[in-house]
Amino acid sequence: MKKLLVILLLFASFLGFGQSVSAPDSKSFLQSTTAQDASGFVLSGFSATSTLLTSISLVNPPSGTTFVLNTTTGLTAASGFTLSGNKTRLVVTGTMADINTALQSLKVNTGSVKGNVALSVAATVNPTGYFYNGVNGHFYRPIATGATYTAARAASLLTTFKGQKGYLVTITSADEDAFIFNNVPQGNIWFALTDEVSEARWTIDAGPEKGTLIKINNGQTNGNIPGQYNNWAGGEPNNSGDEDYAVTKWGGGSQWNDLPNHFSCAYVIEYGTWINPDDATFTEFYTNSVTHSNGEVLTARFNFDFGGNVDETKFSSKANTYVNNLWSTTTNSPRSISGLGKVDITNDLDTAKINTGYKPIIAGGGSEWSYVNPNATWMGTGVSRLLIDMRQFGNVDPTTVTKVKILDAYDGPVNYLSHDANGWAQYSVPSILTKVTDGTSSFNQYIRNVNGSNTDYAFACSISFEQTSAFKQHGIELSYTNQTDLNTLYNSIVSVTDVYLAFKELSNGGLFGNESGNEFTSGIQFMNADVDDNGIFNEADTYKLLQHLTGVQSLTEYSALTYLMKLYGKTDYDAITKSNWKTQFKFTRSLFPFSLNTGTLNNTYNVNVTWKGDVNLSHSAQQTVSSVASNSIRTMTVRTNSVPNEINSSIITEIIGDKVYAYITLDPLQQEVVGTQFQLNYDNSILRFEKIDFKTKGNPMNYGTNKGTYVNVGSLISDGSTSLDNTTEYKITFAPTRKITNTLGLMGIGTTDAVNKAGKQLNVKIN
Amino acid sequence: MKKLYLILTIIISSCTKMDLPEPTASSSVNIFSVTQSEVNDGQEIMFDLKSEGTYTLTIGNSENNQVITREKFTGKTGQNKLILYTKSLPKGSLYLLLEDSNRSTVNKTIIIIK
Repeated sequence: MKKLLVILLLFASFLGFGQSVSAPDSKSFLQSTTAQDASGFVLSGFSATSTLLTSISLVNPPSGTTFVLNTTTGLTAASGFTLSGNKTRLVVTGTMADINTALQSLKVNTGSVKGNVALSVAATVNPTGYFYNGVNGHFYRPIATGATYTAARAASLLTTFKGQKGYLVTITSADEDAFIFNNVPQGNIWFALTDEVSEARWTIDAGPEKGTLIKINNGQTNGNIPGQYNNWAGGEPNNSGDEDYAVTKWGGGSQWNDLPNHFSCAYVIEYGTWINPDDATFTEFYTNSVTHSNGEVLTARFNFDFGGNVDETKFSSKANTYVNNLWSTTTNSPRSISGLGKVDITNDLDTAKINTGYKPIIAGGGSEWSYVNPNATWMGTGVSRLLIDMRQFGNVDPTTVTKVKILDAYDGPVNYLSHDANGWAQYSVPSILTKVTDGTSSFNQYIRNVNGSNTDYAFACSISFEQTSAFKQHGIELSYTNQTDLNTLYNSIVSVTDVYLAFKELSNGGLFGNESGNEFTSGIQFMNADVDDNGIFNEADTYKLLQHLTGVQSLTEYSALTYLMKLYGKTDYDAITKSNWKTQFKFTRSLFPFSLNTGTLNNTYNVNVTWKGDVNLSHSAQQTVSSVASNSIRTMTVRTNSVPNEINSSIITEIIGDKVYAYITLDPLQQEVVGTQFQLNYDNSILRFEKIDFKTKGNPMNYGTNKGTYVNVGSLISDGSTSLDNTTEYKITFAPTRKITNTLGLMGIGTTDAVNKAGKQLNVKIN
Repeated sequence: MKKLYLILTIIISSCTKMDLPEPTASSSVNIFSVTQSEVNDGQEIMFDLKSEGTYTLTIGNSENNQVITREKFTGKTGQNKLILYTKSLPKGSLYLLLEDSNRSTVNKTIIIIK
């Protein structure tokens, strides 16, 4: 048995299960102070004997901010770095234990400039031959074997590293240039910059910046476009001999030159297309970050949890305030949500406070301007009645009083009850005012028990009024890249699996006979399946889901994000159960309200995302029952729907006579398939949809809807009584709107879904 | 002048002339003769077949090995020309696979859709 456990552990370690980087919570550093504790990053799950590559970076820190590792035992600095001294980034290699020891000694030195101090730590098993740039989160692979520029450009595109396609390196900053200079031993290194299309118009030729013009004249600085990075050697580029391509480290120096294509030079392949290291999607690469602040700054940082199958970076956010019953944005510039679901909207907050009313301060000494009825049970439990003489109010409207301080007996909110212009203003105080009645108040000499029966106390006092203020109600509003992409996303969120699962839940104990009645395991599932939002999940909801699937009627009248998405504070989300979901907030919204009146400057909000109709929670945050730190462990992986069960399908298109046909067929392999869904995109500028012919066994509900640019087609056997077999075929007929001779690319399969009799979502492999 | 000699020496010592095929294809070039090419919507692609018969052209995503579309057509011996439509295809790098009626691979290349 022990042997088995050892083998399993070794196997798990070999596969790299559970590797992660966890981050500490945010904190405020003191300004202009050295060696402030920034520990709390911890690597875990890596093999103890593996050499790990770890990057520690400050991302766009305020001027004067650096960090230092006080303990570096066992670590080796990556090329271009040294272990000692103050830094803004550092890449090291070492074992997990040595790196964790070093991270525990991480200290931050701050300058006088206030602002965010974002620390990012990334870790992976050290890949030989690759260099990591901790500032942009990209890997670089130097190729010493010489090649022409065009061959280098093409060869780069054919490579893949950690799930990312390579491209000939682009150099867009002095920092990146220096990184290449420091890490690549060769001189004369091709990089992706060319004027091959138009002489002297130097344009970035690969990667995410491809097509960016950086220079419009030859000569070292002639025509350099402001804001674009240029670093040409003296007199270069000069097109001496048809030189259309750029090298860096020209002649071993640090600057650029132009060369003709036929020169054989070393080159560098770059991997990664993002700007923020947090957005990295390398496989087997783990990262996390924390944003501290330098100086006391009111902050609002969000951790959005979208679950595993939504690309967070397609969302952006804007801060809003709620004023005069209206939400309005505080900025026109949306902020991107990082690949870890994080966004910091500190700089978009409206920190001007608004008047929220008045607070009478009742101090000892003077006339009896105020009375109380402590523990006034006739008003309710645990409350007292407060009376204040109207002559004390001056210009203050008694209805605007929201707080009160009564000697040393109470300091807090009150509720206005009534007032008489010639008498008293009355308030309800949510306290029994023990100190007034038990003689322990230090102002006891000013308190008179009016009738001796402990029900009516007068205060000999003076009363002043303080204006009260608070931050405005804030909200964070999410938006998606564009409506077309959102439609595609939502089409994959509410699919045939969700509909089948809803039917299965509804028919528990009925149609299948042997069901125990609990297909849904979470209250969130009930909430999402209750698509008419009436607090009851019933056949009306399954009918609406079916109508949505088959294209008869969408779940929502409008397709904007606010009608599709549901946002919850993590605590509220985790508290939703199968028994209480009916009474919880259940409506869609893309704006999440939050308060800055929390009594703290560092505000971090954890928000969970789910969707109307996402019955199987395939695109929703998972509920957690145990407490998880606000910077919960997140790992970067390629976002794929991790469905272990698979079926096969195929597509073929052809043109016969004056019609175009697409045939989609199914091979269920060993699965009992009861639901299928295919999105067949088509070019509606050339094809006009005509019809769908279904070839299916039994009596499934076959559906096909023309959505203008795609056809949604599939089958559903909602009672699971039969299943689809390999004779299943969907034949979609189009008529060309102009003469065509072939169909290559006119139609293509987009999203797919399938479900088996047990309600398990299946991966559809198109081959 | 010394500087010029020095620069020339560095160039000659670090770079040597090579003759490699250009990895681009236009409608007048066999699309399978290059490792990859950028394609536009409505672009004519050309390729050669050794014999006439039924063939398929498949476009797929090489990252997840998922087929996106496949056209069945009748090919003729020698040069064949087809129009490639891209509006319904995802942007990025895709593979283009030519197979005969036995599903044997005849040719394969990468196409990049912008």
